[in-house]
Order: sequence, then structure tokens, then C-alpha cells
Amino acid sequence: MEWSQVVAQGLKTNGVEIVAYVPDEVTGHLLNLLHADPAFTLIPVTREEEAVAVLAGAFLGGKRGVLILQGSGLGNSINALASLGIACQIPLLLLISERGRLGEFNPVQVPLGRATPRILEALGIQAFWIQTTDDIAPLVSGASSLAFSSSQPVALLLPPTLTGGKQLR
Amino acid sequence: MTRIQAIRGLLQLLDRQPILANLGANTYDLMAAGDRPENFYMWGAMGSVSSIGLGLALARPLLRVVVLDGDGSLLMNLGTLATIASQRPPNLVHIVFDNQMYETTGGQATHTARGTNLAAIGRGAGLTAVEDVATLDAFLGAAQRALRDPGPWLIVARVEPSAASGGIPRRPIYYKDRFVEALRSP
Repeated sequence: MEWSQVVAQGLKTNGVEIVAYVPDEVTGHLLNLLHADPAFTLIPVTREEEAVAVLAGAFLGGKRGVLILQGSGLGNSINALASLGIACQIPLLLLISERGRLGEFNPVQVPLGRATPRILEALGIQAFWIQTTDDIAPLVSGASSLAFSSSQPVALLLPPTLTGGKQLR
Repeated sequence: MTRIQAIRGLLQLLDRQPILANLGANTYDLMAAGDRPENFYMWGAMGSVSSIGLGLALARPLLRVVVLDGDGSLLMNLGTLATIASQRPPNLVHIVFDNQMYETTGGQATHTARGTNLAAIGRGAGLTAVEDVATLDAFLGAAQRALRDPGPWLIVARVEPSAASGGIPRRPIYYKDRFVEALRSP
């Protein structure tokens, strides 16, 4: 199965119902699959910080959420992750498609992509890289359990070696 | 109209509907006007309160969700108005107390003091149930309609400057857990 299908299935199996996102080419097929499944409510937002707050609200109402974002969007979401997610103990999953890493064609994507592991580490957000399609089910399941039992944000990263990355056109 | 007068009047219109208050004056005045388990208070994530309200309104469509925002906070997250307009949750009531200043940081002017019109921005974002009020009676009338009729509602309430209530405990995890439990109980 293609990675997007396994991720969609994993989110569903683990009770994730709310998906907030900023549209992106790499996760486009995954987002289409989620849109097509009535088990999910999809909320496109204008900026990733907004998405963290939307998912916090969904959690307050009893629903599990995932934020699907490009690596560059992590920079837009940090204050909400810190002062709402971490400080208030409000869990969510972050599904980050990496930019600025292997194969990157756009030089301005590199600084934040390079810093992403250390940004997550500095915030105390546990992060796990999905290297192969076989990793997806156990990592989505494990990250969900970790996030919602510890009431903290947890990140899953999609490297370009898994997704093919964003292509220059 | 002052902010705390408006909040006291609003609380009298409510039963157990949740209220989410943005950081600073709204959190302090809501707690002083009437602490209740259905209140969600904020001490950070400036600008985020209406987005939290949107997520809650979508997760719990049978609850009428009330958001107390401020002009400075909303100006930090104007994209929220477009997102709310695109999702159209009928159960979301977004109230913005516009005092034309960043009160919590010392009263510096916001852009609404220089002509920015938040109700017009809301309409431009695609919202249709928009009210712009400047008296307590007009505010309470708008709030009654917003609690009864389908939204999403945006109520911009122009308030006089007033010192926020003081002496409020900062216990974000306690109040969050209490809020979640209050919404879970029948």
C-alpha cells in the first residue's frame, strides 16, 4: 500500500477525527483520502498556529486531532504549541512533511528544515521519523498513545525519502 | 458600556454554555464576573481563542460556544475570521470587546484606534451574522440573538477603557481539566 493510505488508516484506527491543515503538495493525496472519508472532519486554516488552537478546542470537546503541515509551518506554530499545547497539557499529533532536507531545491527552506529536530527537542516534543511504509502503522499508533496518554503534542515526521518530497516544476 | 458590565449581562443569559476567554483582561474579568466550570481561561497563545472556539464548536455541534476576544488579540490572528466563515459553524458566538488598546501591556493603541473596523473585516471574510454595538442594551440584544439563532456570529462590542479585575490565580492545567470534565458531564 502507498504511504498515504497507511497513514489515513492509522489515524482512523487510533480515533483521530479532526484534521487541521495548510494545503500542501506532498500531503495532497493523504488529504484527499481523509476528505473522502466521513469519519474525518477537515479544517483548512490560514496558518499553522491557528490549527494548533483549533485542535486544542476539538480536544476540549473530546475529539482527537492531527495537524498536517509542511516543515516550514512548524515555525508558524511554535507559540501556540508552547503556551497552549505543552503548558496547558493539551495533546495533538503533528504530521510534518519535511522541507529543507534531502533533495531540497529551494535554499530558503533549508534553515528551518535543518533546525526542525532541535526545535522539537528544545520544546520537549517527542519526534519520530517514519522511514518506511512498514513503520507507519506502529508509529502512528504509538505516537497517538503517547500524545493522548501524556497530554502532550507528539510529532511524526515524513522525510522526502518516504514521500518523494516536493518536486521542482 | 464597560467590558465587565457586558460580561455580567452575558452570564445572566447563559445556562451551561461554554465560554472561552482570551488572555489578559477578558480572562480576568470573566473570572471576577462569574467563575464557573464551563469557563476556559487563557494566559498565553495570544490571538488563538476564536480558533479554539472553532475547534470546540465543530467537535461539539450541539453546544453553543461563546468566545470572548479582544481587538489586539483578534488583530494577531485575522485569518481566523476567514476560517470560521469557510467552516460556518452555526453554534459559534465570537464576541470581540474592542477598547482600542492593548490593555494588558499598558494601554498602547491598537489599529482599531486609527480606523480599522473589525466588523467590516468580518463581513469581508465572509461572515454574514455580524453585529457592531456600543451600548449595553444593544450588546445584550445581539447576544440574545446570537445564543438563539444560527451563526457563526461575530459581535464587535465597543467598550470604554476600564481596569481589568486583579488577583486572579494562574492555574491553566487545573482550569483546563475542570472545563473538559464540565463539558463531558451530561
